[in-house]
Amino acid sequence: MLKPGLGLAILLMLLAAVAVPVFLLQASIPFWQAAGISSIWSSEWYPYEQLYGLLPAIIGTSWAILISLAIAIPCSVAAAIAASEMLPPMLAEKARIGMEVLAGIPSIVYGLIGLWVLLPLLQSSLDLLTGHSLLAAGLMLALMILPTIMLMTMDALQQVPADQREAGLSLGLDWTAQLTRILLPAAWPGIRSGILLSLGRALGETMAVMLVVGSMDRLPQPVYNILQPAQTLTSRIGREIGEAAFGSIHFSSLMAAGLMLAIMGLSISLLANKRP
Amino acid sequence: MTHNNRFFLMLFSTLFLASPDADAGVSLHAAGSTTVLPIVSEAASAYHKAHPDITITVSGGGSGVGIASMIQGTAEIGMASRDTTPEEQAQLDNRADGKVDNMVIARDAVAVVVSKAVYLGGITHLSLAQIADIYRGKVSNWKQLGGPDAKILAIDKEASRGTRHVFAEAVLGSSHARAPGASLITGSNNEEQAIVARSDQAIGMLSNAWLNDRVRGIAVDVNGQSIKPTIAHIRDGSYPISRGLHVLLPRHAAPEVRDFVHFLLSVDGQAIVKKAGYLPVR
Repeated sequence: MLKPGLGLAILLMLLAAVAVPVFLLQASIPFWQAAGISSIWSSEWYPYEQLYGLLPAIIGTSWAILISLAIAIPCSVAAAIAASEMLPPMLAEKARIGMEVLAGIPSIVYGLIGLWVLLPLLQSSLDLLTGHSLLAAGLMLALMILPTIMLMTMDALQQVPADQREAGLSLGLDWTAQLTRILLPAAWPGIRSGILLSLGRALGETMAVMLVVGSMDRLPQPVYNILQPAQTLTSRIGREIGEAAFGSIHFSSLMAAGLMLAIMGLSISLLANKRP
Repeated sequence: MTHNNRFFLMLFSTLFLASPDADAGVSLHAAGSTTVLPIVSEAASAYHKAHPDITITVSGGGSGVGIASMIQGTAEIGMASRDTTPEEQAQLDNRADGKVDNMVIARDAVAVVVSKAVYLGGITHLSLAQIADIYRGKVSNWKQLGGPDAKILAIDKEASRGTRHVFAEAVLGSSHARAPGASLITGSNNEEQAIVARSDQAIGMLSNAWLNDRVRGIAVDVNGQSIKPTIAHIRDGSYPISRGLHVLLPRHAAPEVRDFVHFLLSVDGQAIVKKAGYLPVR
């Protein structure tokens, strides 16, 4: 009785994993037929003029992800090492609870914090017209994914078998060598899953990003300028899905934006899962 | 009371109304323009007091969302702060469950708003051409218009918003005109009001009921006269960017829905319109 049940569960999982991309593909077909594949690299988005360039949002999403990972990975891994290897267990436990609280805060709350605290801060310290920017989106995302990576890293470090630690000690390795030669390599699979999980969250995060990114459908000028208001795929979908009539090309184009997101997420996880 | 506080109060009151009541009463949903929302939301709680078995939840999203919700039948009442486009009207007329009536329950002005610092710096009135220059990107510093030496933060709205339609039609010539001079796109009145209030160099478009000390409405020059976005100037038609606020009601709507819309047009309903800062139609 147990085994068929589990088989059914995995079947449902597989079905969901296949059904979502198939649905996105099917819903976006009218768009690909009308606007063509070239809309992926064209940069003008004016739905009312039948112009559907996806490039600004794709670049915006990529930047937001890059910035958030570049900040969150080093910070959270370092914090996890400090918490699990240096702090006394009681304090480490407190740090863990704190992180769990942070991880549970709804994204709209982060978005409002970003709107009222982060944007004015960026505006005044970088002398910007408005704080709305890809940098703001990246910083918000970094804050949101930091707890996940840190918690997963702490778990992974604590699960390194004691005999491996003892082996390291008996070889006379100092603390640095113990960390870089034994602990981190052993914990790496756990850290990697933490990064991948949080990457998924960062890719799909809509509300917090929508409030701070500025929603301007323009390519950054120049393309590495992360201090201008810009657009991400999720914020595009969030802003426009309500008005797009079901079945219209506009609606279909937003499904295409969703499909791009799914493809980006999928290709990153496939790359990350490639064994060296 | 500031508009902000009132908005949150109404938000909470709608949340409260949304909580499932013990005895299964009738629950209605109104969606659309955040300009019309303060009226309908306030009216919903007044109506609920008089008819405790009927709860009305009110949500925003913009006029485009309100009209789309009528086309798709996802709400009982649609709210819009602009006329329907010919395409939308065609879809409304061809609905499976019958036509949709469109009623004007109030009038308001789309005010051209600037940050307090800009207003005090000397920008108290502009012509439609000057505003168009800002949104087309031909003017980028307030100094060029006689104001303070600060870059212009021009705020545009999502394409579906009624305020955007009316503003762009009056200023740029067409409701979906591009605005290359804009540097930010916002959604609800609330979001835009917050950004203008926080900035020292912003210009935007807001319903006249959303002005406050930090978000000032400037006068628009018409034939050499500066016309302020006041109720009096909406009434006599001299302010150039004004419009009707609509409620959309399916012809085959349930009697409760119909009755609520009648309430909006009644003396009590129109008093709520006035209190919210708009011009009553009756």
